[in-house]
Amino acid sequence: MTPGFVHRMDSWARHMMPAVTTLILALLNVIPLGLPALSDVMPVITVMAVFYWSVYRPDLLPPVAVFLLGLAQDILLGNPTGLTALTLLAVHGVTLTQRQVFLGKPFFVAWLGFTVISAGGFVLMWILTCILATELLLSPAVIFQFLMTAACFPIGAWVFVRVHRYLVR
Amino acid sequence: MASRPVSFTRVAQPVRSLWHRFAYVALVFAAFGLMLLGKADMVIVERTRVAVTDAMVPILEVLSEPAGSMTRALDRVAELRDLQGEVERLKLENARLRQWQHVATGLQAENQALKRLTHFVAPPTPRVISGRAISNAGGPFVRSILVNVGARQGARRGLAAVSGSGFVGVVVEVGEHHSRVLLMTDLNSQIPVTVQTTRDPGVLSGDNSNRPRLLFLPQNAHVSTGDPVVTSGEGGVLPAGLPVGVITAISETGVQVKPIVDWDRLEYIQFLDYRIEGSNSQPISEAQPGTPLKALTAPESTSSGGVSVIGDAPSVTTPLVGAEGSGRP
Repeated sequence: MTPGFVHRMDSWARHMMPAVTTLILALLNVIPLGLPALSDVMPVITVMAVFYWSVYRPDLLPPVAVFLLGLAQDILLGNPTGLTALTLLAVHGVTLTQRQVFLGKPFFVAWLGFTVISAGGFVLMWILTCILATELLLSPAVIFQFLMTAACFPIGAWVFVRVHRYLVR
Repeated sequence: MASRPVSFTRVAQPVRSLWHRFAYVALVFAAFGLMLLGKADMVIVERTRVAVTDAMVPILEVLSEPAGSMTRALDRVAELRDLQGEVERLKLENARLRQWQHVATGLQAENQALKRLTHFVAPPTPRVISGRAISNAGGPFVRSILVNVGARQGARRGLAAVSGSGFVGVVVEVGEHHSRVLLMTDLNSQIPVTVQTTRDPGVLSGDNSNRPRLLFLPQNAHVSTGDPVVTSGEGGVLPAGLPVGVITAISETGVQVKPIVDWDRLEYIQFLDYRIEGSNSQPISEAQPGTPLKALTAPESTSSGGVSVIGDAPSVTTPLVGAEGSGRP
């Protein structure tokens, strides 16, 4: 138990924080709340988390973590395995190429960027769902869920900023 | 001693940068591969999913408990606010139910007399496994819920899931401590059903909205809005006669059905298991059309069972034969 070891464990735990908090939020996301029709349009927290960390600390949420988070969400929700994983990887990849645009800019620029990129994510997920089910999914809930996700991004970002500031540092 | 980490880093560095470069592409391909393997119903993918879900179930169980109590508390507050109106409504309903009670007693006597005449063999009563829903319906891309009973409690794939008032879906995945119920509204859900009043067979097909569609009705079907829809038991997976919903809209594009079950109050789920030891080995399709759900969910009340297709009651077999004959599109 040298100070070096403790220090290393501490920094390791801090580096795990983005992935761990995202997983916890993903679990909270599927809890039945019994609020009318809310489960249809629950904002997708994992997309927010992947966007946030890809912009501000991409080193803390590597592609492997993104992939595993996606798989966990697929398994939790009963989606086809790999569907959310692929969507989150796409969001991660696109965000990484554009992160310089958002860094150091006012928050609404990031919000706008998130809206555009997550829209792409939803379209990708929709196309993949249709292909896998070999049926056209015409549910307005997809659009409502996207709007909810985009609208709730500031709340998500508020949480991630706290995690970033106090748990990761 | 000091040189070892250096040499390790020297070896690891190129591997690391290579990994960083290709990890992303490799993971994208892995996700694609998993999707294809899952589509091909690979056992290993299925097993892994079940194992991972089993590991996450205890966490979900703990988390969903306070959420459930909070919902109940909010419901209680809403109820208290409208107590007077509720009393009035219940009084009216009670008066109406009293009339129904008279009708029911008469019918029960008649039913028992007829059963004696036809040497009626009682349909098997199901074993009921009750559990709590520990996840929500999953959003617009998939409609399924997790229930906190699994193989340990006797759940198995293909069981019908009901919730108080009506049919919910089919058990599609069973782990040690959990089961996944594919809701009838899911894109991949196809439930063989019968329109109760006209006995027209059809398939209730989900589209991820809360209003599944009734497909493959016979050409000469005369369904109308308000007609109740029940499971037909065709295919032998589900029991017949479970109340599913009510036809709400008929248009060129299809027939819409509003499920009876309240999706916002899916708290407790019951699985109905008709394959009971000791009874005949007939599959669950042996359960009768028109059997009220009450009789199905309460094993002791056998007297209120529906009509029989077994033995010497040839006249009532017609709807089922019809269902098998014209059920194909």
